[in-house]
Amino acid sequence: VKKRYQNRIELLQGTLDMLILQTLQWGPRHGYGLSQSIRTNSGEILKVDTGSLYPALHRLERAKWIAAEWKVSENNQRTRVYRLTAKGKKQLISERSRWTQLSEAIAGVLNPAKAEGDL
Amino acid sequence: MNFFGRRKQREAELDEELQSHLRLAAGERVEHGENRAQAEQNAHAEFGNAALVREVTRDTWGWGWISDLQEDVRFGLRVLRKNPGFTAVAVLTLALGIGANTAIFSLINALMLKSLPVQNPQQLVVLQWTARHQSEFRNSSSYGDCDAKFTDENPRSCSFSRPFYDELRAADSELFSGITAAGSEVELDLSGNGAASIAHGRVVAGNYFEVLGVRPALGRMLQAADDLPAAAPVTVLNYGYWQSEFGGSPAVLGKTITLNGTPTTIVGVAEKRFASLTPGTVIDAWLPLSVRPRVLPRWDAKEDGADSIWMVIIARLKPGVPREKAEAAVNVLFRNGMLHGEKPFAKEADDPRVQLLPAQTGLVGERSRFATPLYILMLAVGIILAIACANVAGLTLARAAGRQKEMALRLALGAGRWRIARQLLTESLLLSACGGVLAMAIAWWGARAVLRFVETGARRPMGFEVTLDTRVLLFTAGISIVSGIVFGLAHAARGSRVNLTPALKDATGSSTAAGRLGSGWLNLGNSLVIAQVALTIVVLAGAGLLVRTLQNLRNIDPGFDTNNLVNFGVDLRIAGYKGAQADLAIGEIQKRLSAIPGVTSVSYSSMELLTDGLWTTSFKNPGGASPVTVDSDMLQVGPDFFSTMKMPLRAGRDLAPADFAGASAASVAAAAQANSATKGSAAAEPAGTSAPLAAIVNETFVRKYFGNANPLGRQISYAEAPGETAEQHKNPGLVVVGVAGDAKYESLRGEVSPTVYVPSSGGNVNFELRTAISSAAIIPAVRSTVSYFNSDLPIFYIRPESESLDQLLFQERLIARLSSLFGALALVLACIGLYGLLSYEVTRRTHEIGIRMALGAARRRVLAMIVGQGMLLTLAGVVVGIVAALGVTRYLSSLLFEVHAGDPITLAAVAAFLLLVALAACYIPALRATRVDPMVALRNE
Repeated sequence: VKKRYQNRIELLQGTLDMLILQTLQWGPRHGYGLSQSIRTNSGEILKVDTGSLYPALHRLERAKWIAAEWKVSENNQRTRVYRLTAKGKKQLISERSRWTQLSEAIAGVLNPAKAEGDL
Repeated sequence: MNFFGRRKQREAELDEELQSHLRLAAGERVEHGENRAQAEQNAHAEFGNAALVREVTRDTWGWGWISDLQEDVRFGLRVLRKNPGFTAVAVLTLALGIGANTAIFSLINALMLKSLPVQNPQQLVVLQWTARHQSEFRNSSSYGDCDAKFTDENPRSCSFSRPFYDELRAADSELFSGITAAGSEVELDLSGNGAASIAHGRVVAGNYFEVLGVRPALGRMLQAADDLPAAAPVTVLNYGYWQSEFGGSPAVLGKTITLNGTPTTIVGVAEKRFASLTPGTVIDAWLPLSVRPRVLPRWDAKEDGADSIWMVIIARLKPGVPREKAEAAVNVLFRNGMLHGEKPFAKEADDPRVQLLPAQTGLVGERSRFATPLYILMLAVGIILAIACANVAGLTLARAAGRQKEMALRLALGAGRWRIARQLLTESLLLSACGGVLAMAIAWWGARAVLRFVETGARRPMGFEVTLDTRVLLFTAGISIVSGIVFGLAHAARGSRVNLTPALKDATGSSTAAGRLGSGWLNLGNSLVIAQVALTIVVLAGAGLLVRTLQNLRNIDPGFDTNNLVNFGVDLRIAGYKGAQADLAIGEIQKRLSAIPGVTSVSYSSMELLTDGLWTTSFKNPGGASPVTVDSDMLQVGPDFFSTMKMPLRAGRDLAPADFAGASAASVAAAAQANSATKGSAAAEPAGTSAPLAAIVNETFVRKYFGNANPLGRQISYAEAPGETAEQHKNPGLVVVGVAGDAKYESLRGEVSPTVYVPSSGGNVNFELRTAISSAAIIPAVRSTVSYFNSDLPIFYIRPESESLDQLLFQERLIARLSSLFGALALVLACIGLYGLLSYEVTRRTHEIGIRMALGAARRRVLAMIVGQGMLLTLAGVVVGIVAALGVTRYLSSLLFEVHAGDPITLAAVAAFLLLVALAACYIPALRATRVDPMVALRNE
């Protein structure tokens, strides 16, 4: 049962980390807010599973790329709010450049004819 | 905040975080127009399995295993608390199993494994020589330090001569950092400190303590200057002896006491841990070698010759010197002395050589007496632990069947199988840990009880002490964990392999599908019971054989009456009596003892019978003409010896007063020459007289050396001493005046050897008193009579013969008693196992039994069904056990007496006994089965 989740986490891992870091760059958010932002910004395509989200948040926190603190919301409820750290910003830059490389490479593989045609 | 506190807070925060997520999600749904209940339900559904999210998130913290463990332990304790009956039985079973092991191991630790109480004991070596044939030493003495063997073939000993010791010390330069030696042990008549008492002394070289690295608790130790011939006699006391006899007073320093008539100054007290170098002995006082001529009652200057071996040589290797290298160097010296000395003691073909044994293992002392019994008992308790594990495994499995639903539920809720297995294993380890803690208490108590029993079996204190040191604690922890894993494994493996659907579907947990411990007749539960019964048979068979050995030994007829007999020793020489004076004094003591009310007869002999002491001598073959030398045991006896001991005279007459007068006049020297040390032997060399002395021989002597001829009036001549010519040999020998019935001399177990009884003369005797009343009650009167005769005359070892026999058979009694105890323990455990399995079966089959009874089965049939199942298992176990016992009891052979290791009677008796007890264990659950009410059983569905 557990294994199934782990597989999914593995699949998403690098990407999810990057998405979280990127989302937090626009401002601190709590876990639910993060999942909603990712969902909205992806045009409702990426639905982040809570079983992946929270382990990822805690992992990133452990790596000190993000930091968390408890905040009291407008309707007097305590929520745990994450923000990006300086270390996390660097990490985001390197992950983004890796992602760009990767997507370009994949695009190159997927559309070889187009690349040739440009010549 | 501590780790667990932080951890707890973090878990609470995670919970709150997830809760807030749900709340926010639900709140947004409400904003989008869903009603509150609907919103919350949908939010939950979208969120997924909260427990799992929590768990996988926690896993990222990296310390998950600790919290899991904590959780497992907490949950395990709750489960155990919820089943107090099961927990109590399991913990107690394990505690008994582990406790028995810890007890025996702590004894092994105390007796075998403790390191010598000196500095850097690993550097110490003890010298031992071996040869193919017995070497021709004039005299050899040993004091139980090593595993010596005075046989004709392949003898070995760690006794060396003074000249060899001196040579070794002179020769050594770079191999040893020190060479020292211990000499004779000596009974010291101590006066000058209250009433005369006996102290157990040992003479040692002046550098003994320096080489060993033993420090004084008070004053100083012996030093080289004390060992010079002209030095004033000094002694160092044992710490315990100083405490008990001198009240631990520092005023003993400089105090003069009289030891065997020699004023000796106390110069120090040894450090507390050093009671003796050799395990199992306690030395009360150490004296330098130089005092021997003054303190040793039988001192003879010849003892310092190369043909007299008596010194135990201990050497300390220099750091980095391999033992083999030192051994080779010592061998050059030794072989040279043995083969090419002034007077060679061995031939080249005998290959005499020296080994340097590590002192830790070479100095066996009393260890040799206990090694075999202890290792046999360790085997027995090992089997008991296996039974205990099988037992608890069986109980756990039966209970696991009832918990299958729980397991299935947990699996269904997403718990990992490994996690569940780990949970079950944690429970097992908790049980065994509880058992282990309780076991320490049992072991502490048990080992001390055994050691007290051991001490009663020894003539003198042995100085062994049971301590629960690190080694014992590690052992207990080790076997607790191993047993926890062993009995938990089956359980854990099964628990995590539950088939979900049937287990969950079954509401009552009583159907066969969920309850079976395995499939087929030979399922795990049954196998465990069979194994327990089989192992019990092995332990019981061993115990049975050892008990029968003890019985056989007790039934030995020693040839004299052991009831109402008191023995004690006196040595008139240490009180200053010499020659004929001593004989007169002994006669007087005999007369006074006879006058004590309740004493019917008194005699004495040169040695107490059945104490491993023996005096042998060689004769020219008395029956034939051929000049063959034959050996015979010899005992000097006083008047009325045969009537006092109730040893029948078969022919001829008893020794008459005239015979004793002749002996007294003739040979005081004979006694002086005799080596009365209990280990070792020496040829007697009575001085020459004109007429042969009267002697009585035993029946074996007649049968072996005279055949059918009439022995009365025949003369027997002593053989020449080594190196003596026929001309020099002027001893007139003995004339046989009577034949006595065979009686044991050296030991109870041994065969009766040809024995010659000669009239006693000499000062060291053992008195025998035949009493009409309880022999123990007479002892105070005996003490006061001797003390009234001469208050400086100490009494050795006074006790009834029955007590001596108990001490003699003490090793057998110890092992018979303990193995019986362990046998009983095994039996109880196996019966609990059997009872547990059948009880569980009855519970599981309540429904089936109900149907059977509803269909008209008689109670008798139901009873027979359950009892039959139990007895079938028992019978299978008995068969397996007998086969196993036949294989295992072979190792007992060396301990058995007149009973064969595979003795069918013992095995049959043990099997019958076990079946009988098992029947009772089966009967109770079976009876419960017959009380099943069909209506209730069926309604249960």
